[in-house]
This record gives sequence, structure tokens and C-alpha cells, in this order.
Amino acid sequence: MNPQSPKEITDYYKHLSLFWTDLIHLMASKPQALTSTGPMRAFATSSKKIATELIEINEKLMEFNKFYTEYYKQLSDTWSVAQKKVNQKVPDVPHDVEQFEAFKRIWIDIFDNDFTELFDSEKFGENYGKLVSKELELTKHWTNISNVILQSANLPSKEEIDEVYKELHALKKRVTKLEIELKKKEDKK
Amino acid sequence: MRSETRIDPKLVEEILKFTRNVVDAPKLVAAPDEINLEVTPHEIAQVIDKTRLLHYKPLTDKQHKTPLLISYALINRYHILDIHPEKSWVRNLLEQGFDVYMLDWGSPTSMDKYLDFDDYVNGYLDSCVEFIKDETSTEKISLQGYCTGATIATAYTALHPENVKNFIATAPVIDGWRDTTVISNLAKHIDVEKMVNTIGNMPPEFMYYCFSVLKPFEQGIEKYVNFFKNIDNKKFVDNFLRVEKWLGDTPPIPGELFKQWIKDIYQDNLLIQNKMFVGGSHIDLKKIDMPLFTQVAVGDHLVSPECSMPLHYAVGSQDKTLRIYPTGHVGMIASSLSQKKVLPELGQWLSERS
Repeated sequence: MNPQSPKEITDYYKHLSLFWTDLIHLMASKPQALTSTGPMRAFATSSKKIATELIEINEKLMEFNKFYTEYYKQLSDTWSVAQKKVNQKVPDVPHDVEQFEAFKRIWIDIFDNDFTELFDSEKFGENYGKLVSKELELTKHWTNISNVILQSANLPSKEEIDEVYKELHALKKRVTKLEIELKKKEDKK
Repeated sequence: MRSETRIDPKLVEEILKFTRNVVDAPKLVAAPDEINLEVTPHEIAQVIDKTRLLHYKPLTDKQHKTPLLISYALINRYHILDIHPEKSWVRNLLEQGFDVYMLDWGSPTSMDKYLDFDDYVNGYLDSCVEFIKDETSTEKISLQGYCTGATIATAYTALHPENVKNFIATAPVIDGWRDTTVISNLAKHIDVEKMVNTIGNMPPEFMYYCFSVLKPFEQGIEKYVNFFKNIDNKKFVDNFLRVEKWLGDTPPIPGELFKQWIKDIYQDNLLIQNKMFVGGSHIDLKKIDMPLFTQVAVGDHLVSPECSMPLHYAVGSQDKTLRIYPTGHVGMIASSLSQKKVLPELGQWLSERS
């Protein structure tokens, strides 16, 4: 195989890495089982999950960087245009207090206007939405890695804690409903 | 030939004075943490989960019969409505003889991520209304909502019109598609489902980001330059720090509530189209048939007037008033204009109906 495109290269290394982690995992699982006890056994069996997550993080990081670069490009382009407008409006360096105050006002007004226009634009909103989305995907991978570590220490994962929160929320709702019904019955008496 | 640049000595003096002010600031000014934002005396009338119902002590011998409950926004805390004795929304209403209650939503934690619109509207807000009705032996109350708190109050009023005698909507978030603010642009592009599923509650840091894109140079630079310039002006500094402390105290928003908020209000715009459901119940704005007083600010860069005003035209009320003020989102509730114009007009309208 002779990978050419960036995707092919990523896929190749992903396969290569997974092949070896899989193989090492299979080869090592028996001695690991023999030598490890308690929580570390769980960590050993889950170590493949961490490797997979790290590979995927790498992929997501590339996509994240694409939107992150675009984010800073938009900010920097807007800054340049705004600065040019300021330079056109105030060609001379301010020499006294009044001139300085006028310069400050012009600078702030032009920059605020231009940046508000950017933040209000479709292109900014779209890129920002994608940037946050990629950041969340990275967070998700980090959570998955943390879950492996938590479970190896016999601690509940995020999903398990969420389940408890959900149950608590549902229970509270039921109790409130029952309390209201009880109050209505008492009021009727 | 040598070119000379002449700089006014006054400008140098100004720069030196500014530098001195920056150095002296810690000696002259209290740290934000040392400032107490609880201004007007009140008692905690009811606590449910993290929410608190505050009841302010009366400042007049006689009071209007109908109590007023204020449903504060989900962003930041209620303190802005009582930020300073001279600019306090609450104090002004108390001085006009109103019996004032305030709903403090508190600071949700991770375990509150499943709280949704239904919990806020039919749970917390409804239990406060029922509590006030019981305590004051009245059948109906006056309800005021501010910003996102006004949206919750709108949903409540449409679902429980029998409990609301007068409804005051101050800068309500109603028509997300008409909102021309930067916030609405970000809200429309966010994958809120992914955000809530991944991190749970909406983190305060995200809100701080949203604040930072609103007039970034005026709010991020000029505001602080003015603070140091006016470091000797006690009144200015006190007011500045109070507002700054309030701005820096943004609690998370429960995940499920945030999800429905962004989807139903900003992305799908269901509320104004009478297509929104809360706890399985349909929100029909025509069911709001009591007197309505809508307040909007022309310079509001958080909730634009175009987003708020449609409420005035969508409700079933015959007795309705729309007031537009030449100020901003916070200026409408905590400024000298609010004390001189906004509150007297509201007080007169409300007293005639209380």
C-alpha cells in the first residue's frame, strides 16, 4: 500500500496502530491476567480503548485546527481592514489631549462596528458553530478516556452518573406531582 | 534637516496620571469580592432545590393589594435589579407601595442538567406564584419577567392565565428569528444537542464568550480605561464594581432547559408561532388576555427590540401598552433613566391595576 492523500495516510497509520495495539493486547492479555490484580486488570483490558480514542482525537484535532485557523483568520482580516479605516480617517499621530480623545473614539467606533459586523455574519456564525462542534467532539473523546480510568478504579463513569441524575430528576418530578395532588385533596376536605 | 514631533505636555501629564491611577487603584478601591450586592432588606420566603423566593420588606405604610413577583433572567443573577440603593429597581417599586417578591433561580450544578422548561415554568415559577397567593390571600398576582425570565414568565402566563392579574414583560426574548443581535447569530449556529449531551449544563465560560463579542472594544477596553481614569470618583467606581461583580457571576444553565431554549426560541422560533410545548402543554400566546405592559430598549444589544415587540401584537389582551426607551438592556433596569422614567411609568400603570 502506498498512501497518497492525507486521508489515506491517516487511515494507514490508524490501521497500523490499531493492528499493533490489537495484537499486543491479545499477546499480552494472558500474562497481564496472570500478573495483574484488582482495578489494574480492568485498566489493562481497557487500554485498547484509550489507544483508539487517542487515534481518533488526532483526527478530530486536524479538523478542529482547520476551523480554529479560519476563526483567527477572520479576526485578523477584520482587524486589518478596521485598522486601515482608522489610518485613513486619522492619518496623523495625535499630539494633544483632544486629538488623542478623538482618535480613541474613532478607533473604538470603527473596530466595534467592523467586529460586530463580523460576529453577526453568516460566515462567522457557521465557522464558529463548526469550531465549537469539533471542540465538543474532542471533549467527548477525553471523557471516554477518563471513563476508562474511572472504571479501572471502580468509580462510576459519566454515563452512570448521568443515569443517577436522570433518575433523581424523574423521582423529584413524581414527588412534586404527588404533593400537589395530596394538597388538592386536603384543600377539598 | 531634522523633523520635530511636538507633543502637548498635557497629553504626557494625562498619561502619567493614568499610570498613577492604575498603581493607586488597589489602595483606593474595594475588591469586587468585598462588595455586598444584597442591597434592599428581604427575607427568604421559600427554598426549592437551588431556587429561592425573596420577599422584600415594605418601605411604605400602605401597599397595593396585588403582590408583584419578578422572574429574573437565566443569565447572571438577580442582583442587577437591586444593584445600588440609588439605582435599585426593587427599592423603587417598594417606595411606590408594591409588595415585591423576587425569584432567584440559584446556581445549578451538574446534577441539575435534566431540569427543563417544564421544571422552570410549571415547577419553580408556579410554586412561587402559589406560595405568594397563599401568603397574601390573593387569587392573582402581578408577574414581571426580565430578559429570558420574561420568556419563562410568558410561557407561564399563557399556561396559567387564571393566576396572573397583570403581566409586565421587560426586554423579553420572544421572536428569535427577528433578533438582530450577535447572540442570536451564535445561537442559530450552535449544535446544542451535541453541547448538552457532551458537557451537560451550559457552562458560564460559554456565556462569557458571548459577552466578549458584544461591543468588544467599548466593553473590553474603553470601559476599563474609564474606570482607571475615574478612580477618584467614589460614586462612579462603586457603581462600576457592582455591575462588574454582577457581570462576573454567571451561573450555568441546566442542559435540557438550554437545549429547548436554543432550539425552540432561536433556531425553530416556536414561541411566537404558537407552536411551542412546555411539559406537554401547548403555549398559545392568545391565552395571555390580562393587562400587558411591554418594555423594550432601542439600544439593547442582547435582546433587540424586534425580538421583544412581537409579544405586544401576539397576545389576546385588550389592555396592552408598549414602551420603547432610549437606552440599553441593563440601562433600562439599572440607571438614572430607569429611576426617572421607566419605573415611574411602570408604577403608574401597575398601581392603576393593582
